[in-house]
Amino acid sequence: MTERIVVVGFGPVAARLVDELLPAVRSGLAHLSVVGEEAEAAYNRVLVADLGVGRTTAAALALSDAAALIADGVDVRLGVRVRRVDRARQQVVLSDGTSPGYDRLVFATGSRPVIPNLTGLNPDPAAPVLPAGVTALRDLRDAAALQAAVAGGKRVVVLGGGVLGLETALAAAEEGATVTVVHNGPHPLGRNIDRGGGAVLAASLRNCGVRVAGNARSTGVEHNAPGGGFSALLLDDGSAIDGDLLVLSCGVRPRTELAEGCGLSTGAGILVDHKLRAHHEPHIFAIGDCAEVRCPDPDCIECRTARGPSGLVGPGWRQAEWLAEYLTLLAAGSPGAGSLPPLAPELPGVIVLKARGMNMAVAGEVRADPWDEEALTAGAVNGRARLQIAQWADPEHGRYVKMTTRAGVLEGLVVVGMPRTAAELVQLFERGAELPADRSLLLRLDGPDQASVAGAADPERTVCRCAGVSGTTIAAAVSAGCGTVAEVSGTTRAGTGCGGCHNDIKGLIEAHFQAAVA
Amino acid sequence: MTNGAATHCPYCALQCAMTLTPAPAAPPDVAGRDFPTNRGGLCRKGWTSASLLQHPGRVTEPLRRGADGVHRPVGWDEALALITAAVKTTRARHGADAIGVFGGGGLTNEKAYQLGKFARLALGTSRIDYNGRFCMSSAAAAGMRAFGVDRGLPFPVEDLDSASTILMLGSNVAETMPPFVQHLQGARDAGGLIVVDPRRSATAAFTDDGGGLHLAPLPGTDLALLLGISHAVIHEGLADAGYTAARTTGYEAVARSVASYWPERVQSITGVPAGLIRETARRLADGSRRGGSYILTGRGVEQHVDGTDTATAAINLALLLGLPGSARSGYGTLTGQGNGQGGREHGQKADQLPGYRKITDPAARAHMAAVWGVPETLIPGPGLPAVQLLKSLGQPDGVRCLFVHGANVAVSAPDANAVIAGLRSLDFLVVCDFFLSETAAEADLVLPVTQWAEEEGTLTNLEGRVLRRRRALAPPPGVRTELWIMARLAEALDAPSTFSEDPESVFEEIRLASAGGLADYSGIDYAMLDRGEAAYWPYPAGSTGTPRLFLDAFAHADGRAVFTPVTPRRRTPSSGPGTGSAASAADPAGTPMTLITGRLMEHYQSGAQTRRVAALAAARPGARLQIHPAAAAAQGIAEGDLVSISNSRGEVSCRAELSTDIRPETVFLPFHFPELESANRLTEAATDPISGMPEFKTSHVWVRPAAAEPRANELQKEGAL
Repeated sequence: MTERIVVVGFGPVAARLVDELLPAVRSGLAHLSVVGEEAEAAYNRVLVADLGVGRTTAAALALSDAAALIADGVDVRLGVRVRRVDRARQQVVLSDGTSPGYDRLVFATGSRPVIPNLTGLNPDPAAPVLPAGVTALRDLRDAAALQAAVAGGKRVVVLGGGVLGLETALAAAEEGATVTVVHNGPHPLGRNIDRGGGAVLAASLRNCGVRVAGNARSTGVEHNAPGGGFSALLLDDGSAIDGDLLVLSCGVRPRTELAEGCGLSTGAGILVDHKLRAHHEPHIFAIGDCAEVRCPDPDCIECRTARGPSGLVGPGWRQAEWLAEYLTLLAAGSPGAGSLPPLAPELPGVIVLKARGMNMAVAGEVRADPWDEEALTAGAVNGRARLQIAQWADPEHGRYVKMTTRAGVLEGLVVVGMPRTAAELVQLFERGAELPADRSLLLRLDGPDQASVAGAADPERTVCRCAGVSGTTIAAAVSAGCGTVAEVSGTTRAGTGCGGCHNDIKGLIEAHFQAAVA
Repeated sequence: MTNGAATHCPYCALQCAMTLTPAPAAPPDVAGRDFPTNRGGLCRKGWTSASLLQHPGRVTEPLRRGADGVHRPVGWDEALALITAAVKTTRARHGADAIGVFGGGGLTNEKAYQLGKFARLALGTSRIDYNGRFCMSSAAAAGMRAFGVDRGLPFPVEDLDSASTILMLGSNVAETMPPFVQHLQGARDAGGLIVVDPRRSATAAFTDDGGGLHLAPLPGTDLALLLGISHAVIHEGLADAGYTAARTTGYEAVARSVASYWPERVQSITGVPAGLIRETARRLADGSRRGGSYILTGRGVEQHVDGTDTATAAINLALLLGLPGSARSGYGTLTGQGNGQGGREHGQKADQLPGYRKITDPAARAHMAAVWGVPETLIPGPGLPAVQLLKSLGQPDGVRCLFVHGANVAVSAPDANAVIAGLRSLDFLVVCDFFLSETAAEADLVLPVTQWAEEEGTLTNLEGRVLRRRRALAPPPGVRTELWIMARLAEALDAPSTFSEDPESVFEEIRLASAGGLADYSGIDYAMLDRGEAAYWPYPAGSTGTPRLFLDAFAHADGRAVFTPVTPRRRTPSSGPGTGSAASAADPAGTPMTLITGRLMEHYQSGAQTRRVAALAAARPGARLQIHPAAAAAQGIAEGDLVSISNSRGEVSCRAELSTDIRPETVFLPFHFPELESANRLTEAATDPISGMPEFKTSHVWVRPAAAEPRANELQKEGAL
């Protein structure tokens, strides 16, 4: 029998799930409906800031093509809201008046921006109506607002020192806007980065032309622009930061109302077990930003230390891939469904700043400092190794690295201003691979000495790799009377392959005759 | 010089032109000859190639293996009678598909063609494939899918000279075909040579001092890297929209598929900084507006279980930039073996008939039946690709009697220990070779055949240009050509059709057979080649050939190139037998490293020839494990130490060579060496679902000093054996 699968939400995570379920749809194993509130099929929300500064096009953001999916037999409903889920009848009640039934329902409703409680902003989190000149930069319409400001060289105020805020600020500044980032705490990325890294980060932001207002508590917005638009962000010390557009970047919150409305358990997100199933509801699943993996078993050690939804797209994509496989096995009635190993727990998310002018990566737990004995030994019980920290700080040149390791494996990292080191450390972190004992090896990746210098002085060194001829052999040929590259080639075959060593041969000939003159 | 034979080097697909001048009582004199590909240059392998002609180890009489395992000379009549009897017995007992044929990419066009015909008509088997499956199959499949035809370089190699940007992925030409490097000089001078290799190879080192960029992704992440570059091309507005609209189909699907591979994400997957990914995209786009941009792939990105998809990703990138089919830009794959191009066109592939025709296509079958003068029903259907063919050796319903021509599978095939066990389980093994290679050593019968300097024929080089191989001297008296052997056996087996032993006659038949096919040779003849004409296929009769493909149209029916969206699949490399499984129970403790295999300047393929050249063997007498000093220090390994590299498939023992040119989690072994130094004892026989290419580049291995005590599980394994 064909299994009816309904996916609620059509963002990047839902798009991956739908793609992975296509074989089951094509083979008739599953009937798939996907319900999206926006008029567009899934697009890459991660790049909305790039779109907002005019660096890319809406078309290039597309992740799904509704027409192609429909051609494959997927029931695609765009611009349609789910009013409620009727678990008793296994139906979703839609705003288009229909109520498709389901055997499996997947929530991929994602998250919505947090709207801070400021005077002059509507605080209703479920239905934010933002005044003119204020945007949360979440969808294509928000991007259009930012684009107008950037194209006009306007003043943009970014509220929030999280990674999305910083990326927006950097991109807008590079594209010509005047940008101020307003954040609380002593430095941006306060939740993720350590003090040293944060200080270097703030300095680097300023070098890139972004104004940074730290330790700022905002209290309200002022609408004195013509037409009642945004004109300034008000701070609790009585000061104001003037601007033409306010970008709210104060984090996101999982969208759980539908799940709550049908009686499912929620914490930070919709609570699901290790098979991404809602608690006590085998027909409903949740993935991506709206889901929180925390199983009902109170003794589960993994869940005791589990973090809430990460807000990053990578874990959601991995969940989508896993769930597609699981749902396909379920639809096929395969015994493999029972034995499919659950998804491995996620590592702490890696944040790599998407920016042209500067480079920063941060991941894991990075607060401890090298001399912080208490933090280093905490958790080092039952033979577990203690934390080790290696650190490099060169604030003058905007460079900072911290590697927090346990038994040689990274538990946290901060890299600012060293792109190769960042790339290397991030993939070491993601693979859980052991670092070289000499950590300075990783710092040297960005050094000017990276291109190794051939030992030109060593006469035994192979000059012509193609023919395997050493400097000594060539020198002997020159001593025996060869005065040109062609003559050396004729005698020794050096230079007869790729010809790349002709200059070296010439140099040896010249050295010989200079020595003879001297 | 004047009385020498104008021929080409016996080794790689660059087919450097050389002149062989016979010398009394000595090997012929080798001289480089001016030609567009090598411009008179030769590498060390070419210079020393003639020393094998009179090598004391050469097989000069048929050898039969006795019950004691020793090979002893027999006469040709006896040898042919033995084969005839073995074929007839096998066919009677197990059916014709119990006979297998394994060919090679070093065989001339004439031999490759005749071998396919011999297998299908004289032996009646579908079980023929060749070592090109380990070489060009992924790029070939990707090229067919995108362009409708597969010619390694669809342009003459000297077109590269004027390029501003050349992106080389997984190809170490500085070692594998040194004279080719001349064609990279223009890009180096423009600062536009971009080399993608996990190692700082000799080719990657050419990017130093302003020559360009070296990107060193983690092994097995090439596909993600290419998606990241494509993402940057699209999102930075560098794509050639006019071109994709007019000359391609499927752009939108590829744009969507790369939308989720933004450079910072790709950096986390590959270890290549996002800035370098963007820079690569810009230089490619910029180059295409100046002197030209080329994207070239090699085995490094193709020898994967997703090799076809990786080559496809490279082609997609090229299509986004509008490179293929333009006058001064393009995509190409660098063919490896001497006749790796011609060898994949004329019917020694399991799924193929001459002229690059599909064996399942009724029209192609009818055409070949007419050329051969046999009923169409006599032509068997598709057989098994190389890895599956080798896995079937000695198995129930598998191959029981095997012919090997121009291949040394005991060294070159993945999971070599299993391959050797397969060879030993055969009822009868015939190997045609000029040395007692590791594969020949396993044979019931070894047939001595001519070397390149002793025969006439044609090869098709990496540009799809057909070249003449010419005889410079007579072979030793007991040696025969493979065409002669096939002709005699066909006669003894009462085969239908004709089997000529004269290369030119066979070439005339190739002209008829390939006429109307993708690789059409019908307008080419020996006389024209002997006049020095540059003949690039397709060369239909009455045309002047095709130096540059795709200038007007691609080879699909609608004339457009096809974008195919590809994305990396999750896969855990296996260290044990079987495919796709995670770490096996027999794995040693500790962290595995990633083994990549590759080539050295001094050796060619399995080394059956070059290991016997004194100068080359002296320069590189054995395998050395390239390992990063940090990884070596962690294991207590010093420069020159004897190390053991192992996984549950096998163990290799050799000296360590410490180098910062390799990533710390990766080790490198050349695959040219046999026995204890045979890298393919460690590689996995998992294959690409489309091309049948094995995974050579991401095996998990454990490295430790060789003096260490054997671990418990190793002892158990030996006990089990």
